Amino acid sequence: MDDTLTRWLRVLFALVVLVALFFLMSAIADLVKIVIISALIAYIMDPLAVKLESRGMGRGVATLIIFLFVSAVLTVMLILLLPVLTDQIEALHTGLTPDQVAVNITRLDHLISRKLSFLGIDNLDLAGKLERMLAGFSDWAVSHLLDVVSLFTHLVLIPFMVFFLLKDGREMKKQMVQLIPNRYFEFSMNLISKMDWQLGRYLRGQFLDALIFGILSICTLWFLGVKYFLLIGIFAGLANLIPFLGPIAGATPAIVVSIIDTGGLALAGSVILAFAVMKLIDDSIIQPVVVARSVNMHPLLVLLAVIVGGKFFGILGMLLSVPVTGFAKVAIHEGIENFRRYRLT
Amino acid sequence: MTSLWANIFQPRQDSQDTISMVLKRIPVFDGLDARELLQIEKILHEREYRPEERIFLQGDPGLGMYIIIEGNIEIVSEPGHHILTVLHEGEFFGELALLDESPRTATAIAQSPCRLLCLVQSDLYDLIDRNPKLGVKILVQLARTIGERLKKTNEYVHELKKGQEEAAAHG
Repeated sequence: MDDTLTRWLRVLFALVVLVALFFLMSAIADLVKIVIISALIAYIMDPLAVKLESRGMGRGVATLIIFLFVSAVLTVMLILLLPVLTDQIEALHTGLTPDQVAVNITRLDHLISRKLSFLGIDNLDLAGKLERMLAGFSDWAVSHLLDVVSLFTHLVLIPFMVFFLLKDGREMKKQMVQLIPNRYFEFSMNLISKMDWQLGRYLRGQFLDALIFGILSICTLWFLGVKYFLLIGIFAGLANLIPFLGPIAGATPAIVVSIIDTGGLALAGSVILAFAVMKLIDDSIIQPVVVARSVNMHPLLVLLAVIVGGKFFGILGMLLSVPVTGFAKVAIHEGIENFRRYRLT
Repeated sequence: MTSLWANIFQPRQDSQDTISMVLKRIPVFDGLDARELLQIEKILHEREYRPEERIFLQGDPGLGMYIIIEGNIEIVSEPGHHILTVLHEGEFFGELALLDESPRTATAIAQSPCRLLCLVQSDLYDLIDRNPKLGVKILVQLARTIGERLKKTNEYVHELKKGQEEAAAHG
């Protein structure tokens, strides 16, 4: 009886600590976001550093070379894409030519009302609804992408953290392991190596998949002549990090922009078809090759994680909630499994 | 402040020297130069154990190899708590766990205050990825060490069989 009580008290204590930790983390949300993003980037880049080390380089030199290479690639991309990207963000923020939007929306409103009048649909107020939806997205894009102070802080802090996590991560891990009591040493090391193996494959796969899907979206939307193709393509790639919901979230802005821009449903239909084909390619070709199936998450778990992530950390929180939930899932699953294997009670 | 920092994060020099000396005597690291030994040192986890404290239990999943820097370790077979051997400074145990995760075949308990170095399997595999040349050297030595132990076990089994046959022949 005493044993059962002690065990329940321990579980209760662990839950209280977890909840307290969660609220502490949400209180310092910005810092937590920066740390999570930096750790993810460092983790994704780690195999590159290992590859360079296998060619005889020290970890420091390998990290420096990766940084120089990534900086060069980003600089070239910025020079090529920044003018287009800035134009698209600014155009989105100021809106499409108001007259043109009004004409197109009214035309679409009439078209739908006429075709669906038998359903009792007469006043859709599409203009108002779309305006509100676009305003929300453009406000987010402007506040996150064009906020100079926040951009500068992130541009300095994240690379700084990534550099040191990539260079000294192994040593940091070793120092942390020193703090683990002997009784839990083997259990913890086993858990860390299992999590590293599963999560490494999963996270790197997800990143590569998002990158390929993003590039595919940009090219397809550009080919179809959708406005803001670059911005929407980047968003679609990022949204693809969220399983099940991502592709829908990624396609929605493209559909909305097509409707507003043309005032008809033809381009929107092509966009829907294009996203369906891209998703088919993603599911049947890209994902099986690049994403490890070791971290299978139930759609309901993903949905809950995305809602909680969005509630506490905004849109970025929604994107980060998937890898963080994957991490928690593997940690809990392997932790329980290891408790059983090491007979720790 | 600097000394506090150094105390927390920098290993003591005398401790470092002892570790290097002990590593040179371990057959698995035979033939490695000073630079290569330094790379091994970087991935080793130093642990301190009190007398009677268990390092691992028979049946636990294998994690890696332990090297004794200071103190004595009892290797015990369960059930019955039969002491199979007592290992001393400079000796090592659990090297099979570097190759697979099969359950530990015996329990290891500290007989006196002990300082051990642990080489974890995943860290060794990571080192092999980063430095394949060094990895091959270690794996060859590991194969030789395990081969030696297998030879000794075969000889022991052979002697036991011979003894049994002789005992049977004499009635």
